[in-house]
Amino acid sequence: MSTPDACALHYANGVVDDIMVVGVGGQGVIVAAAIIADTALLHGDLEVKLSETRGMSQRGGSVSSHIRIGKSVVAPSISPGEVDYLLAFEKAEGLRLAPSVVPGGVAIVNTQQIVPPLASSTEYAYPFDAIERMRGDSHPARTDGLRLAVVDGNAIAAQAGDLKVAGVVLVGALSTYLPFAVETWEQAIARNVPASWLKMNLAAFAAGRGAGGSEGSERT
Amino acid sequence: METVLMLGNEAVARGAWEAGVQVAAAYPGTPSTEIVTNLARYDGVYAEWSTNEKVGYEVALGAAMGGVRALTAMKSAGASVAADPLISSVYTGICGGLVVIVAGDPGMSSGMTEQDDRYFGRISSMPMLEPADSQECHDFTRLAFDLSETYDVPVMVRLSIQTAHQKSIVRVGEQVEVARKDPGRHTDKYCLLPRFSRPLHAGLLERVARLREYAEASPLTRVEPGTGAFARIGVITSGAAYISAREALPGATYLKLGMVHPLPLEAIRRFAATVERLFVVEELEPYLEEQILAAGVPVEGKQWFSQLGELTPVRVGRGFFAAGLDLPRWAEQKAAEDDSVIPRPPVLCTGCPHRGMATAMRKLDLDVHGDIGCYDLTSLPPVSHMHSAVEMGASIPMEQGFTRAGGSKKGSLAVIGDSTFLHSGLTGLLNAVHQRTSVTVLIQDNSITAMTGGQTNPVNEKTLAGVATKPVDLAAICKALGVEHIKIVDPYDYAACLAALKAGLAYDGPAVIITNRPCVLFPSKLGADGVYEVDEALCNACQQCMKLGCPSLHHTEAVFKKRHKVEIDASTCTGCSLCAQLCKPGAITKAGDA
Repeated sequence: MSTPDACALHYANGVVDDIMVVGVGGQGVIVAAAIIADTALLHGDLEVKLSETRGMSQRGGSVSSHIRIGKSVVAPSISPGEVDYLLAFEKAEGLRLAPSVVPGGVAIVNTQQIVPPLASSTEYAYPFDAIERMRGDSHPARTDGLRLAVVDGNAIAAQAGDLKVAGVVLVGALSTYLPFAVETWEQAIARNVPASWLKMNLAAFAAGRGAGGSEGSERT
Repeated sequence: METVLMLGNEAVARGAWEAGVQVAAAYPGTPSTEIVTNLARYDGVYAEWSTNEKVGYEVALGAAMGGVRALTAMKSAGASVAADPLISSVYTGICGGLVVIVAGDPGMSSGMTEQDDRYFGRISSMPMLEPADSQECHDFTRLAFDLSETYDVPVMVRLSIQTAHQKSIVRVGEQVEVARKDPGRHTDKYCLLPRFSRPLHAGLLERVARLREYAEASPLTRVEPGTGAFARIGVITSGAAYISAREALPGATYLKLGMVHPLPLEAIRRFAATVERLFVVEELEPYLEEQILAAGVPVEGKQWFSQLGELTPVRVGRGFFAAGLDLPRWAEQKAAEDDSVIPRPPVLCTGCPHRGMATAMRKLDLDVHGDIGCYDLTSLPPVSHMHSAVEMGASIPMEQGFTRAGGSKKGSLAVIGDSTFLHSGLTGLLNAVHQRTSVTVLIQDNSITAMTGGQTNPVNEKTLAGVATKPVDLAAICKALGVEHIKIVDPYDYAACLAALKAGLAYDGPAVIITNRPCVLFPSKLGADGVYEVDEALCNACQQCMKLGCPSLHHTEAVFKKRHKVEIDASTCTGCSLCAQLCKPGAITKAGDA
């Protein structure tokens, strides 16, 4: 899906794509959201609205960005249970937000785990089996037809040259589900990363497209 | 015309710049901070981080009286700090336009309360506009400058966090040239002595009446006809609540209010007559509802829509559903997230200079009167050690009062950061000294206004505008205020932290302790100064290091006496060494030293 016709068709009849990017403060959620929003903007003729986690997001807390794309979009935030595409930079955050995905929606989950300090000092346990739980048939989202794509973003990013580009790997995985041309995505990436990092980011994006998107082998 | 995706706050800044604003002064505060951060980037705008909101307001007021267009911006709590000039300046009026941005925080993402700032309009008679998206943030700010000059009054633009921190598309405009006006000299207008104030109040009421007439006929007051099954349902709303209501109930007929003080009551009355059922959708207090009811127009409102928190589309939709509207989308309450997954609240960063003292204060089991800053995170697990944290500058006077009430057995103290101390801590300390009260004050000086994202304050060598300036000497200030016991401590030295606290508490008279390590994030992220590692064989799983709440310390699968051993994430450790200092068996050492 990358011709202008495909895009017009995709967003006909009031369709709005509700994309939620979640992760841990410092992981690059905000930049990924900016790339997604800019792609839709650069494509043109679409309305884009975005809202971000408020508060002390740089202090290792859960963060999320909502991006809504369509011919006409009203609210900047996505309502519970209406997420079409969940892009989770961290697996426990993926597990946390899985119930927000619409029946039959897509969750792209990075295998990275970041154990919060609370796991060591309180009764809370970190869900090391987050991916397995989302894969399991008993998970409510699975019974609702959740399409899960598991991506080892860090390994792919390391191959591309640096762990810091893991976010763009995940954006690459998401890009295969959305009706925008690869060149438009690349333009949006160029807008949002330092010039000296562009080449590595584009390699990460390309690798991400093959890894967990609609053609991905990990898709279950 | 160029279109740009902009944060609400960026759009406010752009609108102000286009309107020819020349002076912008504010104290940072979520969710208003990005307004002045962005204004500082425009050529020809003087922008500053003032020492507090009252000062920022007064700088802007002085500039406006000086004949140029000026802006000040603040969070809700900041508007309370600036309430004195806010109310008085409505009497004096202005010369150049003055626009006051107040950003509220329904839902309390980072605020201490969810006060409804619309009441500032009623208390002060200041006209108030309320934008709903970035385009309106831009347009209303531009318009506010014109209204300010036309009606000789400061104009407030009230934002909700949802409006300030969403991004939507803005069609930007061109900058207008605004020449400086002749400030003249207007003693009877600008000196609020009773003989001048009395006629000014009468003049103010007359201006409010004219502003109400303006609102009645202005495009700010907009009827949006409905379609379909809900076309006869009328909704009166404004700002962020308008967006949520539009998402929740698209087909209704809307009266969208752009000016929320004074209210266009005739337009509301006319609108009410055109619909079968009339709702008011508004965040927080029944501000519109009560005025509309008082005007004799029956409406439904707070019985369906909560007085608490942010009114998201789902909460508005559920309200309409409860009111009997057939809305399948909102028929059931859907889960937003899996609550059983471990929560991930913000924590003090790895290497945070607040951690050493927080741990020492917990060790001594002190009653801590906190203030407003990142150190408030020590009121949460695993540190969980703070007695109070109420508002900017509260720590020292509250500690003084607590001491007068008898204090506590193990000791108590006030904890305040550099920026908050300079914002409103000085007068409290001066009072404690003057009243001869033996307060102990810990100034956690990390040399930046950290919690709002790293803004400059008078301890820095440069201003927001990048001008070199003389950093203030906190110890010298305390000395000048009359404090005789002043101790500067390295907060990465745990034993020194304990010793300084004990000495300060034991001192007979006001005592000040100042820490001297910079924030790890701002102005730039500190690199690692050596990395520490755990020798698993030596670790006895005593958990002393884990009580630091450091995000770089994790449990391993290895267990000793039913407790997990610990490892250090070398990729994030900054080498602050606190964990090594707490490690009794000596299992934690600098990598490479072993």
